[in-house]
Amino acid sequence: MTSTLDELLRDPLFQLNAVLWLAQPLPGESQVTPLFHNKGFTVYAIAPLLALPPDVQLAAQEARVSVQPGVRPDVVLIHEREGRFAFAECKGGSFRSSAAEQARSLLIVAGPRAAEVLGLAGKQVSSSLLALVTPESERLPWAEGLTELLEKLREAHLPVGEFSVLGLVLTDTDISLSANGMGAAFFGVHPGLNTILGLEPDTDPRPLYFIPYDPDVMQSADEQALCRRILFERMHSTVVAGVGRAHPPADLSLESNNILNDAMLGMYGQWENRDSARHMRRLCRQFMEAVAQAVHRMVPGTMVYQPGVGWKITIRDEDQHDKLMDALTRFSCETLDLQAELVPTLFDGPEGDAPKPC
Amino acid sequence: MMDMPLRLIRSRQEMTRFFDGYATQRMEELDERKLRGPLVKTHLIELLNGRCTPTPSGLQAIFERRRVHLEPLEDGLFLATDAQREVGFVESLRPRIVALYSTWKSKDIRAWVRRLVLRSPEIDHVWLSGLTFRVLWDLVARLSQPRRFTRLVFTHDSIFDIDSRGSGLEEEDEQEEEEEETSEDSRDEDLAQVVERRETSFRMVDRIGVIQEKLAQLQRDYSPLYAISQLRFPSPVSRGGHDFYDNGQVTNRSESFRDHRSHLLFIVRIYEQLLRATEEQAWYSIRESVGVPGQFRKIVGAPVVVRFREPLSQEVFDQWIDATFKRKRNRFRLWGHPVRLGPTKVHVYGVDRHLWQPLFLELTAKGCIAIVPNGTCGNTVHRLVTNIQRYLDPGADAFIGDRPYTDMVEESARGVPYDLDAG
Repeated sequence: MTSTLDELLRDPLFQLNAVLWLAQPLPGESQVTPLFHNKGFTVYAIAPLLALPPDVQLAAQEARVSVQPGVRPDVVLIHEREGRFAFAECKGGSFRSSAAEQARSLLIVAGPRAAEVLGLAGKQVSSSLLALVTPESERLPWAEGLTELLEKLREAHLPVGEFSVLGLVLTDTDISLSANGMGAAFFGVHPGLNTILGLEPDTDPRPLYFIPYDPDVMQSADEQALCRRILFERMHSTVVAGVGRAHPPADLSLESNNILNDAMLGMYGQWENRDSARHMRRLCRQFMEAVAQAVHRMVPGTMVYQPGVGWKITIRDEDQHDKLMDALTRFSCETLDLQAELVPTLFDGPEGDAPKPC
Repeated sequence: MMDMPLRLIRSRQEMTRFFDGYATQRMEELDERKLRGPLVKTHLIELLNGRCTPTPSGLQAIFERRRVHLEPLEDGLFLATDAQREVGFVESLRPRIVALYSTWKSKDIRAWVRRLVLRSPEIDHVWLSGLTFRVLWDLVARLSQPRRFTRLVFTHDSIFDIDSRGSGLEEEDEQEEEEEETSEDSRDEDLAQVVERRETSFRMVDRIGVIQEKLAQLQRDYSPLYAISQLRFPSPVSRGGHDFYDNGQVTNRSESFRDHRSHLLFIVRIYEQLLRATEEQAWYSIRESVGVPGQFRKIVGAPVVVRFREPLSQEVFDQWIDATFKRKRNRFRLWGHPVRLGPTKVHVYGVDRHLWQPLFLELTAKGCIAIVPNGTCGNTVHRLVTNIQRYLDPGADAFIGDRPYTDMVEESARGVPYDLDAG
């Protein structure tokens, strides 16, 4: 196993991917019990940027309550038939006062103004809730912290919603989600423990990752290395697939924007944080340089970096195509240093600073 | 008629008349037990250029890249020739599926088609899995009189269940690419190697009513009988019928080519609807939520889940993973570097190496989960299910999301016309 189960439960990317799997359609008796999907919930949005209504921001200023003007819950789940919306936020660590500003904003977007925040008509949202997902050991501190914030927001007459802290619990046989009265009622699940992921001996229980990487979350070194490996594997599959489909003679250009968007199922294009986007491009460059070196050893001059364009691949004929595919498929990102610190290079900017939507 | 150059045929009508006469002649010879020429074989081939229908020149270009010349005869019909010979006729039956009709010997045309498909990521066989055949068998039973004879072939070969290391699996994979598969008809039992692993190749010829009565119980008792690899649709207009193989080969064992073609159309319509349904449901992508373009993104799609009837042993699991991902040539045609997560669990963020399309897989001793990114052809799913039934677990069940795969096949078959004049 790559990390301890305790570490895994604290990992925000595991939590995020687990929440996404809980909302997927799966047959009965699967290793993942799709708790939310079974109760009618599907994924409405991943990491949407939600702005607080201006009057609420003004009211918060006047009441001297510090809020974030815009906030990104990790996932928004919808029960389409009943108009119920859950704003899910994954938290690996303990409740700290530094998280208060974001938490206040989440409590507001999950409140009576949720429809407006989501750009929907009022009648389209019948109820909403902030669902905070965290390891069981952090459930109580988060519940206490959020209760305190909620009371203060109410005192300031700000429109706030309800919340539920869902705890990830490790048992001998599975990973369960503990839901309290409010959360259980909202999602229609049993109060108490609900099995979500079966355990097998000596086996890492994580499901396939939809979202393999996020430079903005805190992860242990082992978890980050594994997620980086998954990201590299996905970039590798993008490159192998793209070149494999080419008909020689052909010129291909692979841009980091496209590689990253493919590897992230289109989520890279959504990153607004420029530092994070730059970090991702450096990862892409680290990977592509290693690939280019491997290709150069077998088929020199086939793959070159062109500033402003990306990696240009020239395939003259079928023989060269075969050799290139051999070089690409033999390369393994297991050989890369998955914990390397990324250093800025001269080529950080040429393809544009901001990610482009896919 | 047998030696008539195909280039003399200039239209669909002439081709149909030629094959009708040819089929009648072969059936008469079969009656006399003196077959003087090969039967008419069709190979159903899927075009894999996404959802775009190739133009005639696009279709010609796909084949030309593999050095096969398609000479247009009339709308959607071509004469296919390679450097040496006339191969047969290629007809565009549906936007994504073409049929190659040929009178070559079975092993020659199979080897030719196999070489064509192996080298081209733009085309593949039409893959009819054991689960698809299960639904088609029900259709045969509904469409034909119970007293008619039919033929089913069951093929399962646990190639990963080896009795010793270095059992020649790699050589088998190489042979599969280079040579023709030995048919059960031509297998020399004296030459067969001693293999201590489960291997079932079983042909059942009987009245439809009898098979219908017995098959379900037989399958429950012996799971390789779930791996149907060939099925005969009895001809409603003459004796014999049309033998459909799991890799899209269809042999005309009837007197009527028109009837043969009608059955092809019937099956490819079902297959095309199944492909569409698979892709609509399984394709994963992050799309804009309705109503708020450019702002909210949601995941759409459903995982493909294959569940084994019996868990694989540690040895079989390891052999499966090694034989698939450590070899360039492998039966599943997959590429990737497995991320080992336990003794019998790996994740592979890989590629379907035949079509060169991404595919993310969780493989365990209990089954397989696939995330099929948007754009990856539904054909990948059907090939995966076919190969799992053939080489790993004949009784495996498959689901797209929470929907049984067989339900999707049944739904795809609903409303597809079965008539002799379908065209």
